[in-house]
Amino acid sequence: MTDNHRPDEPDPTPVASPVEEAYSVEKPIDLSQKSYSQGQLVRRRFFRHKGAMVSLFVLVFITGMAFTSIGYGIIPSWWDKTFYDAGATVDGGRPTLQLWPFQIGEHPFGQDTIGKDYFALTMRGTQRSLIVAFTVGLLSTVLGTIVGAAAGFYRGWVEAILMRVTDLFIIIPLLVLAAVLGKMAGGGIWSLALVLSLVSWTGLARLVRGEVLSLREREFVTAAEAIGTGSGRVIFKHILPNTIGTIIVSATLTIATTILLESALSFLNFGVRPPDTSLGLLISTYQNAFLTRPWLFWWPGLMILGIALSVNFLGDGLRDAFDPRQNRTAD
Amino acid sequence: MTTTTQSDSGQPVYTGSGTPTGDEEVVLGFSDVDVRFKTEFGSVHAVKGVDLKVRPGEVVALVGESGSGKSVTSMTAMRLLPRNATIGGQVDVAGKEVGRLKEASMRRLRGNDVAMVFQEPMTALNPVLTVGTQVVESMELHGVARGASAWKRAIELLGMVGIPEPERQMKKYPHELSGGQRQRVVIAIAISCDPKVIIADEPTTALDVTVQADILDLLRSLKDKLNTGILLITHNMGVVADMADRVAVMFKGEIVERGTVEEVLLHPNHDYTKMLLGSVPRMGHGRGQMGISVKEEVDADAPLAIELKNLVIEYQRLGKAPFRAVDDVSFDVRQGEIVGLVGESGSGKSTIGRCALGLIPAASGEFQLLGQNITGMKRGDLKPLRKRIGVIFQDPAASLNPRLPIGECIAEPLVVHKVGDRKSRQDKVYELLDAVQLPREVYNRYPHEVSGGQRQRISVARALTLDPELLVADEPTSALDVSVQARVLKIFSDLQEQFGFACLFISHDLAVIDLLAHKVVVLQNGRVVEAGPRQQIMENPQEDYTQRLIAAAPVPDPLEQGRRRRERHELLREQGEEIVELKVDGEQFHQSSQAEVVDVEDVEDVDGTDGPTSR
Amino acid sequence: MLQFILRRIAISALIMFLGSILLYVLMINSGDPLADLRESRAENREQLMQARIDNMGLDEPWWQRYLGWLTGVSRCFVLQCDLGTTRDGASVNALLLASAGASLRLVTVATFLAIFIGVTLGVLSAIRQYSGFDYAITFGAFLFFSLPVFWAAVLLKDFGAIRFNNWMADPAVSTTATAVVALVFALAVASLLGGSLRRQLVTGLVTFAVVFGVVFAFDQVTWWVQPALGLPLILIGALGALGFMLVMTVGLANRRILYAGLVTIGLGLVSYFVTGPLLEDPANWWVIFALAGATVLVGLAVGWVMGGYERRTAMVVSVGTALGMAFLVFMDRLLRGWAGFLDMAPGGRPIGTIGENRIIPERFTGDFWEGIFNWGVQLVLPTIVLTLISIAAYSRYTRGSMLETINQDYIRTARSKGLSDRVVFTKHALRNALIPITTIVAFDFASLLGGAVITETIFGWRGLGAMFRQGLEFVDPNPVMAYYLVAGGAAVLMNMLADIAYASLDPRIRR
Repeated sequence: MTDNHRPDEPDPTPVASPVEEAYSVEKPIDLSQKSYSQGQLVRRRFFRHKGAMVSLFVLVFITGMAFTSIGYGIIPSWWDKTFYDAGATVDGGRPTLQLWPFQIGEHPFGQDTIGKDYFALTMRGTQRSLIVAFTVGLLSTVLGTIVGAAAGFYRGWVEAILMRVTDLFIIIPLLVLAAVLGKMAGGGIWSLALVLSLVSWTGLARLVRGEVLSLREREFVTAAEAIGTGSGRVIFKHILPNTIGTIIVSATLTIATTILLESALSFLNFGVRPPDTSLGLLISTYQNAFLTRPWLFWWPGLMILGIALSVNFLGDGLRDAFDPRQNRTAD
Repeated sequence: MTTTTQSDSGQPVYTGSGTPTGDEEVVLGFSDVDVRFKTEFGSVHAVKGVDLKVRPGEVVALVGESGSGKSVTSMTAMRLLPRNATIGGQVDVAGKEVGRLKEASMRRLRGNDVAMVFQEPMTALNPVLTVGTQVVESMELHGVARGASAWKRAIELLGMVGIPEPERQMKKYPHELSGGQRQRVVIAIAISCDPKVIIADEPTTALDVTVQADILDLLRSLKDKLNTGILLITHNMGVVADMADRVAVMFKGEIVERGTVEEVLLHPNHDYTKMLLGSVPRMGHGRGQMGISVKEEVDADAPLAIELKNLVIEYQRLGKAPFRAVDDVSFDVRQGEIVGLVGESGSGKSTIGRCALGLIPAASGEFQLLGQNITGMKRGDLKPLRKRIGVIFQDPAASLNPRLPIGECIAEPLVVHKVGDRKSRQDKVYELLDAVQLPREVYNRYPHEVSGGQRQRISVARALTLDPELLVADEPTSALDVSVQARVLKIFSDLQEQFGFACLFISHDLAVIDLLAHKVVVLQNGRVVEAGPRQQIMENPQEDYTQRLIAAAPVPDPLEQGRRRRERHELLREQGEEIVELKVDGEQFHQSSQAEVVDVEDVEDVDGTDGPTSR
Repeated sequence: MLQFILRRIAISALIMFLGSILLYVLMINSGDPLADLRESRAENREQLMQARIDNMGLDEPWWQRYLGWLTGVSRCFVLQCDLGTTRDGASVNALLLASAGASLRLVTVATFLAIFIGVTLGVLSAIRQYSGFDYAITFGAFLFFSLPVFWAAVLLKDFGAIRFNNWMADPAVSTTATAVVALVFALAVASLLGGSLRRQLVTGLVTFAVVFGVVFAFDQVTWWVQPALGLPLILIGALGALGFMLVMTVGLANRRILYAGLVTIGLGLVSYFVTGPLLEDPANWWVIFALAGATVLVGLAVGWVMGGYERRTAMVVSVGTALGMAFLVFMDRLLRGWAGFLDMAPGGRPIGTIGENRIIPERFTGDFWEGIFNWGVQLVLPTIVLTLISIAAYSRYTRGSMLETINQDYIRTARSKGLSDRVVFTKHALRNALIPITTIVAFDFASLLGGAVITETIFGWRGLGAMFRQGLEFVDPNPVMAYYLVAGGAAVLMNMLADIAYASLDPRIRR
């Protein structure tokens, strides 16, 4: 260790003198290290989140199965049975899926009361439910972001309307309004997705509004306004990119709630209606077969639970990634 | 365990006279204290073998900049560090070794033998409990008084620390008191059980300068009258000079210099101490400190950059009369001139700054900005004017968009006002980065990758992108450490000299204003108290308020500060104001705080499972 | 504060009004109200159609129909409500009276249970962050959050009603089942109390032994068929309540308040015998409420007399102890009614899979206690379904809010005074942490009302949910609007309670 204090020197000048560098509380910028943007940091944290990764895998697996097994549009099918053809009932329609020794068998999820392959039916239902959920997730996120950002930035009547609509949902349960609209929509999945989007955007809009309100007070936004930046640029360049975490997390959770909402509506006969099918409708149809053919009840229920659970865990992982404040420290 | 830094810093300098010898009474002693934090990025060595002792009736100041480990050191005495901390060495409080105590005994020690005064009076008190409940609490807990008698004693305590109408305040909630009063409540809580030592962690940092002086007077009378030992943790050398008997300077977890306050502040030995003291702008020393210079002559005929005539700014309030934040203010700023806008919190200084940026409309009066009246001007018309104005804000953490690379942040004004093309913008940014002494490579970095002072330099660069005629700087260095502040101020003054822009410099720090400004405007409660050339205001203030304000700012020289303190007390007496002190006789106080109730044995003896691990 | 609440009520009234227009218009456009008759082959088809058109006013424009409904409703202000008729001409007023009670009971019980249990679990898991208990609660919350209500309800109907009834025919708990129950309790308690590994092991073993012993003993005395608490258990429970109250306030060491609590228990013992005959078969609920009121008064008096300079705390502890003991006495009486109810239940199967009462009230002959079981057993399963899902939300929010609060500066101040964790959490952290929770109560209540529609369907209740569902199916606006009025009114009331709680917790908005 060297003794580098020189008592005879005049007062050290503050700018960039060697002494100042040595005793600066500021870390010098380490230019050798790789630079990470906020987005890259979030991605890194997200991919290290074990729970979220498992959930992502489950979700991708279920989605993949639902769309490839019985096919969708141009996606070819690899499962040799369809969800509308009834076949001969084998072994009382019991599922042939077995874990040990592993076998898939003829009808892995069993057959329904008239001999339709239940795996194909469940996959069809999952497919329909996923389409509705993701469409609603996308549409309501777009709608909620626009309304929330406008309400938070311009205040005024947009905000007043948003707050009153939110109040409305405290008084009319979401399910009730959705049921009325669902009945009007007439049972097709696309019209159902559309009306569900109309009732699902308020939560996200409220969150975005709150975030925008607090961001507006941040000094970098004030600074941008002070140099004469236009509102559009302030919103899209400075405010919205900083709310991306809230938006993505909230969109994920909207997907989870929509899965549950759609299946509940279909269960009540106000959602997807025959001849099409969805997971909720399957449960509704076979709830009375519970004592005789329990698998008709279990499979669609477990599908809903699996999707909702993995989407919720995914949302939690995203929240942790975007908000490292809540990150678990070594304990 | 290591006690030396890895860097090439100098050897620790222990000239330390005045350190207690072996047989003297010590109320708080740290020996070889070492703290490490386990984090997700590995272990952080926050405190590296600190030795320090505090006698009864003595103030020992632990000085250092952010990250020096001074607060962490003090928290080891309370054993209140987070669970991921590992503590080594030995801490003694009132003769008991803290590390060996069971959790229940430790709780009996806290508040009773050692009490704390925290930095932020706004958040240190529980917002949903009344002041009375919070004062009574620790007396009841430690058996000093119970029930009605505790309530009575709490009223006495509030009276002692100088809170008017204490009985009424007892039923109030913290948000109904001012910052200074809240800090007095915190002090009342701290002395309620007559502790042997008080740890004051930046007790005046969040307060206005006149309130700071009062609180320091109060703390000083504590040690004089009650013979309490005080460990004062601070970054402010003026506070040290005002309060401390002995000083220890901390840097990166180590004490690098210690001694009596005169030794350390007047004859520093260690380079770090010297640099630190050299970075503090001193009241009354005026120009030329720290190598900072400003061009003195301002062209008297230069056009006005800002001209305020009877400006009034109001905030609308729901269901109440609007609040008048700025009331009938007139002053002007010439081209090339730096005008310091000084005032305490609530004086309306920042509001005027925001009005100058066109962010808040004026209620009445005239605001001439670069020759145009902006009151009632439309947003669109304001834009060409904004091109000629730059702005710097206070908070380095919030003033840059975290999602934009630094280069884009600086180039933003060029993009907004459509100046130049891609290449010329990039060249301009490089030029500015050179000017604020940052490497050009930070162009593609993000704000979270650089530190506070560097971010503030980026803010300066952004403000100067369009070569503005006027710069509005709202407390640009208040959130920075002194050494960092010195560097930013130096860069700022160099650039001002070079570009000659006019500047509205808003600050609460009179010494900084003294260093930079040509003209000073003193504000109080939205009104101008006094305005004039720097020399006149700083050296010969006429108004009572200005005199008090200047007298209250401490200087980092114990002898000079002692003189200034006496002068301030005289001034207060002349003006008919009260000098704050503890209103009680020491003997009487000690007797009344003897435990009335016999200390009951704690039955729930959790053996140290909640505290940090000790080794 | 009054102004704040009045403002909120005014806004709610306006929203109720606007919402009613929206819902009415959507309702009458949601389908064809004559659909079933158009396909009908009945001879008097035209006549039936005409009757329905007259009943529903289908020949009027929409605004006239709405105004007609609104006029009828607005007469509620002079206590002469007219909610219109169904499509068949039945009075909606009568329909509503028959269905509202059970539904509101279900939703209210579920809400308060969910708030109480959810907040408690949230606080506990925040205090024991990253413990086994915390992980279990977190995972449970995610699971219940993702659970489809209707699916869970059908499952519960099978396991909770049908299998419970089967078990009740010959109730016996196997040793394995006993061990599993005891093990779950042991793990939960050990993880909750925390401490070193050795400590946790000891707590776990003790809990296991106690629970195992209790269940085993119950099984031996066929407690499941003839349950009762008995005086010893009541006394132990009352002492437990006293201990809990002391720990939550001043700690066990405070002799004076301890004695006040003991005196309260003594007085409770006396009144147990005095009020015995009265409780044999009380006339109605008012008797119970009057006794509860008397209990509170006695508790207050004891605290007042014995509290000395800590009068307020003493009164709180005495009242808490007294109410705890009174609740146990009540439960004792209630449990003694079980055997009688079992005899009464059709086929000896106590829980029905359908309906809001086990035996329809007109045919029911049992006493007061058996009467509680008659609707109580039917309430249990739907309540569990609704509560579980709400608990998930409350516990997550509370945990987050509590963790945020614990990091605040004033918590550090409280610790630096030497306060124990218990006081820091109960006195300083909890109140602050509860403030944000009050704002989610309103939203949660709305989703509970929605959930109730589904559970009522599955458990076959003739409640509000059924009224709504049928109205919507038949495109019959009046029953749906009646549902809206009651549900919306309940939501507004709940909202107001939440606002009052908010204002009383947070002094910053009080004035």
